[in-house]
Amino acid sequence: MRIGVPRGLLYYKYYPFINNFFNELGEEIVISQDTNRDILDLGVKFSVDDACLPVKIFHGHVASLKDKCDYVFIPRFMETDRGQSICPKFCGLPEMVKNSIPDMPKIITESIYGLSDKKLWDFSKKLGRKLNKNRKQIERAFIDSLNIQKSFDIGKNDKNYKVKIALVGHPYNIYDSFINMDIVKKLNEMNIGVITEEYVEKEDIDSEVNKLFKKPFWTFARNSYGFAAHVGHNKEVNGIIYISSFACGIDSVVIELIKDSLNDFPILVLKVDEQTGEAGVETRIEAFTDMLERRCS
Amino acid sequence: MQLVKVTVPHIGNTYLAVKALFNGLGIEYIMPEFNNKDALEIGAKYAPEEICLPFKIMLGNLIQSFKAGADTAIIPGSCGPCRYGEYCEIFKNTLKKMGCDIEIIVVDQPKDIGIKELLNRIGKISSESNKSRNEQLKAVYNAYKVTKLIDYIEGKSRYLAGYELEKGQFKKLLYDCKRDALACEKPLKMIEVLKKYKRSLKSIKIDKNRNPITISIIGEIYTILEPFSNLYVEDKLMDYGVSVKKEISPSWWVKDAALVPLKANSINIRRASKKYLPLYIGGHARECIGEAVLAEKNNMDGVIQIFPLGCMPEIVAKAILPKISKDKDFPIMSLVVDEMTGEAGYTTRIEAFIDLLERRKEKCII
Repeated sequence: MRIGVPRGLLYYKYYPFINNFFNELGEEIVISQDTNRDILDLGVKFSVDDACLPVKIFHGHVASLKDKCDYVFIPRFMETDRGQSICPKFCGLPEMVKNSIPDMPKIITESIYGLSDKKLWDFSKKLGRKLNKNRKQIERAFIDSLNIQKSFDIGKNDKNYKVKIALVGHPYNIYDSFINMDIVKKLNEMNIGVITEEYVEKEDIDSEVNKLFKKPFWTFARNSYGFAAHVGHNKEVNGIIYISSFACGIDSVVIELIKDSLNDFPILVLKVDEQTGEAGVETRIEAFTDMLERRCS
Repeated sequence: MQLVKVTVPHIGNTYLAVKALFNGLGIEYIMPEFNNKDALEIGAKYAPEEICLPFKIMLGNLIQSFKAGADTAIIPGSCGPCRYGEYCEIFKNTLKKMGCDIEIIVVDQPKDIGIKELLNRIGKISSESNKSRNEQLKAVYNAYKVTKLIDYIEGKSRYLAGYELEKGQFKKLLYDCKRDALACEKPLKMIEVLKKYKRSLKSIKIDKNRNPITISIIGEIYTILEPFSNLYVEDKLMDYGVSVKKEISPSWWVKDAALVPLKANSINIRRASKKYLPLYIGGHARECIGEAVLAEKNNMDGVIQIFPLGCMPEIVAKAILPKISKDKDFPIMSLVVDEMTGEAGYTTRIEAFIDLLERRKEKCII
């Protein structure tokens, strides 16, 4: 049985777990290609037109897989912690895909109610049952996968650069180099270092978030805000680049909160959608980094 | 002790209930101006660029009320995953930056902030009232009664508008009713007036044999309840002689929220939406799907979904609706509104949709 795994959304953060889990259970997995123009076009074709870029690209990945596998795996992130969720689109993702793309193979989906070990075990147990595996097999696969996931480090923290910027945004915008037009490489070539949210302690994020009147109930909002506010207040970086998808509901709030908290700290908000041109993005990055360099010297 | 002047942003007809409530409590209530272009313009000017339309209008309401002398605003809260829950934080920041010194009291659900904090926040309001506990409860009860009555009158007259013999009578009654009710100072008087109009609904002559086009309106709760935000779509449909039905109303919301702990809320909607969206994903997406299915089951002619640009839960619903439309051969149209929505284009789409429904029925009503 071949299971298709779309390389979109939170795949970038959790692929070691999910790939290893399916592999150890003896299933063949088919992973879609890296995001490219064709996948984006497929996504734009099938997805509802109001959706944001990452969701459209996810649709594209699923569409590119649909004839190559027997099942497509689409997780449903209901909550990441108690009272912490992602975006409603993540909760309704299987339904969105199922009803938007015609002639879909069967979808394997299971709800995730938290990222703690216990909640992930609940998720894995149910997922394994759907694949007709016994408890022992599932347990072994789960423990191994969890260990691999825990030792996996996707974040980036460049040293030895004179100018350093914090790259803020949802994980799939930061790590999908098609969406962000390989911004990390571009910055490094301009001799600018990058730090991502994985390199800030959880306590620092919490202490920034606790200053807010209303605790954000989105995990991404929490991380992005806490990270940006922390590095901004402590001057750990020279500037912040926020990569945001057009019409993202969460970003419309978070960017405002960050701007309020940091006042005149240099922030560049890069909006990406399916029409974003590379030249325009480059010009904006160059202008921003020129400005930072002048401030530093 | 300095007396507070309270304001609450507009959501549809709730201003009547809010007025009754604060009158009963003996607290001064400053009603924001009725939603208009100015409120939206001020709101859009100071709000974050990509935030949704309800925020912009509500911000406009608050600024206008502040200028009219209000010093405390009460805002119902929620805890996600829809961004409505984050409104209060941005309201606070934006108003502070503008120099509007207005205190914001957020009424959240007890499970998110704890019952103690909720009582504390409500206490801030009720301590301003010099009425006894009994009278306060009475005021809340009266406000609920007002909501129920006005929702009933509005629902009935919108639906019966398709059947009326002389055109425009139900619309006139509805507007007279709102005007007269608002003019009442005392809650009990308001209830009396509403009851009078409820009775007079029956005196308008209707033709039961007529077979008008029936449309169900679904979508994001603010944009379907607040007529300004949806460019008075219901009034337009009323003028065309279309019968309009809308499940969601403030009284529905109160009932739904009260029944949630018992898991007895909107059972019919949950059952209807099971096939297409079996979980609550935030906002009112599940209600939206359920109502679309129910509308087809109840032999309505079509459904119009309305939501503000970028509304996350409704986008999920919008992705599912075409499937329902295809499965059941049932016309569904989605309308997206924001501060740039042009009235002409909007009206054209509604007219085209009605034409389509008409042709499906093979008769002409306009």
